[in-house]
Amino acid sequence: MTNMKKILWLMSLLILPFTSHLQAAGGYNITLESADNNLRDQESLKRGAILFSNYCMACHSVKYMRYNRIARDLGWTDEEVISEMAYGLNTVTEDVMTRMLPGVALDVLGSEAPDLSLMARLKGDDYIYTFLRAYQQDEEGVWNNSVLKGTSMPNVLEGIERHATPEEYAQAARDITNFLAYAGEPSKLQRLDLGWKVIAFLLVLLLLTYLLKREYWRDIKH
Amino acid sequence: MSTEDQKNTSVNVTRRKILTGATGVVGAVGATFLAVPFVSSWQPSEKAKAAGAPVNADVSQLQPGQMLTVSWRGIPVWVVRRTPEMLALLAEENGSLRDPASDESKQPEYCKNNTRAVKDEYLVVSGICTHLGCAPLYRPAVGSPDMSADWEGGFFCPCHGSRFDLAGRVFQSVPAPTNLDIPPHHFISENVIRIGEDPVEGGGA
Amino acid sequence: MSHQTNDQSQAGKSTVLGWFDERYPVSSTWNKHVGEYYAPRNFNFWYFFGSLALIVLVNQIVTGIWLTMSYSPTGAGAFNSVEYIMRDVEWGWLLRYLHSTGASAFFIVIYLHMMRGLLYGSYKKPRELVWIIGMLLFLVLMGEAFMGYLLPWGQMSFWGAQVIISLFGAIPVIGPDLALWIRGDFVISEVTLTRFFALHVIALPLLLVILVFMHLVALHHVGSNNPDGVEIKKLKDNNGIPLDGIRFHPYYAVKDAMGAVFFFILFALVLFYAPEGGGFFIEAPNFEPANPLKTPEHIVPVWYFTPFYAILRAVPDKFLGVVAMGAAIAVLFAMPWLDRCKVKSIRYRGNSFKVLLTILVISFIVLGFLGTQPSTPLYTKLAQIFTALYFMFFLVLPFTSANEKTKPVPERVT
Repeated sequence: MTNMKKILWLMSLLILPFTSHLQAAGGYNITLESADNNLRDQESLKRGAILFSNYCMACHSVKYMRYNRIARDLGWTDEEVISEMAYGLNTVTEDVMTRMLPGVALDVLGSEAPDLSLMARLKGDDYIYTFLRAYQQDEEGVWNNSVLKGTSMPNVLEGIERHATPEEYAQAARDITNFLAYAGEPSKLQRLDLGWKVIAFLLVLLLLTYLLKREYWRDIKH
Repeated sequence: MSTEDQKNTSVNVTRRKILTGATGVVGAVGATFLAVPFVSSWQPSEKAKAAGAPVNADVSQLQPGQMLTVSWRGIPVWVVRRTPEMLALLAEENGSLRDPASDESKQPEYCKNNTRAVKDEYLVVSGICTHLGCAPLYRPAVGSPDMSADWEGGFFCPCHGSRFDLAGRVFQSVPAPTNLDIPPHHFISENVIRIGEDPVEGGGA
Repeated sequence: MSHQTNDQSQAGKSTVLGWFDERYPVSSTWNKHVGEYYAPRNFNFWYFFGSLALIVLVNQIVTGIWLTMSYSPTGAGAFNSVEYIMRDVEWGWLLRYLHSTGASAFFIVIYLHMMRGLLYGSYKKPRELVWIIGMLLFLVLMGEAFMGYLLPWGQMSFWGAQVIISLFGAIPVIGPDLALWIRGDFVISEVTLTRFFALHVIALPLLLVILVFMHLVALHHVGSNNPDGVEIKKLKDNNGIPLDGIRFHPYYAVKDAMGAVFFFILFALVLFYAPEGGGFFIEAPNFEPANPLKTPEHIVPVWYFTPFYAILRAVPDKFLGVVAMGAAIAVLFAMPWLDRCKVKSIRYRGNSFKVLLTILVISFIVLGFLGTQPSTPLYTKLAQIFTALYFMFFLVLPFTSANEKTKPVPERVT
């Protein structure tokens, strides 16, 4: 092997340690369950949006989203999104804000409820899915969450966990996660769908530039 | 001799031209596609479009002869409640208008009429002079003191003297080239005009 | 007496080009630097990265200009404006990802470009100045990237800048005042943001463009090196053209075009399918707005700074760590004088150089990895070992290179 190839081979081996660190927001010592959500599943996104409105919007906003964008992307009309998510109370061009007044969360729960627009990109889909389902009560009946210990957030899905089947409970958490994953980057599907077209075009252009190069380089002895 | 000497003269010039041409064309196509995001990003953003959403104007308190102003897409839109006298004056044909039939100006299909309105009584018009964009003054009174003797009511632009009648139609011999724009609008109820949106199923009120 | 036009520009006494040529050196510049610039015919893979660097620079400038149209350089508006670009501006997400992917691509390309220099002795006489200007470009590029990273005003932007600028505070005597002066405030604040914005958007890009121009002029003045390290100008034909030279246009124009397209494919794969780069190109903590009251768990600089960051942390003393980090870069400037071997290319050099260079590259990569990790005792020890190995290259080379068992260098390129 030439020295060049030796060096390159060694360098590629050294990439390996990096691969185990490909996760959002740094190492967590908890094992995260896979959210297994599918951004192309519009029914899941719709359910997630409604669940979000009913179980999360009392405290949390997704301020970087507007209702009309959600309608467009999820397959609702402007009227439908307002009736499903906002009880008919907002206009379709408004940002998706929480119903809670400012400062109340801090007073009642002890900390601000963060905006969730980017939570999926900050912590990852698996984190959100696991977190929603990681609440436990101890012997004295005090709630805690094994993913975010000491959280002030109550177990919002407690009702669903008690009254629905385990599959329905899991699906609810998955749908909310899916909606938040969508809200984190609404243009993601557009990006994925454009990507292969660009690469296909570039492959054609690569073939042409290669043939052109080879043609001209016939002049050169190399 | 240098490296580039062609030992045989069979440099296929045609093949080179075709390949260069093909690559050039495909490359140019790619460059055009690449330009699309840059050019398109200048279009109004979702935020601008959201801010430019239709606006409701409540005319229940508007007296005959009065005008109110609403902001739509950053433009002042005037709603004028025209009196019967004003409408009568409008109906008179006179040859002093540049575009009496509103052929050149911007208005919705359903406002291409003599009163340029959905309901004759209410004029909904953009308050931007079609000359260079100043805001004209409302001078509804016939023979208004600061206007000329034969003034029959309308709008006067102080910047360069353009004059419009009470349907926003521009007079001849003034700098403004066309009638004032009429934005899309319709009545969503007896007293509320929705400005910035055409009626859903054709026709007005 | 009538003016004699340049021999080369017979095409054009009465053409549009001719009109310009009488008033501006259009054809002569084209010929000197492109059409009749004779480059060695044996450029290999390592020779693509110069033109790729130029392409990435253009990408950064153009996408950067477009981002500046929608970005708000204020403490209150910066983070929001980035999300505005990502969601509301038409194709804004693409412009953003082009810029962020381009930034990482720039460093991949530049590190490989520098590697070529080390492999083939491109820094040796008469190309020392090409190398020096290149190293200045590297410094300016690091500054540009550092300042650019503050602009999204996320948690990592804020805290990364906080840590790095406080390093300046470690300099004895002038340190704290210097850090205060750079920041313009007692902590990183909006004041820092706006001045970094001005530097990132116009001052440093202008400097980069000027230095790139000088870099190319210096290179063309002496002619390009090649993988065999043979000076092609030594053997010319009857017309004064190097025997092993070929015109840049069309030969390297078409070859670089092909290389560029291949590069675009790799770039597009990242851009469309992994723009976050596994958390290395866009770091996850940056999806949270900057909060001066809450420090993230791990403050890590962006991946391209991590080798130097690891060296900084390896030294237990704050000031000496800064010195070591600076020395790690400064020592590269000295390559033309540290390397005393007469033979340019690794192909014909002795084993000592090959071993040393391999160790250098491995150290750089391992240090890069270590820079991303929290400083546990084990990792710190490793960082110290590999820092020593990194510097060993530069310390030992002057001695080993003077007595290398080189192979005979051919007269003609292979």
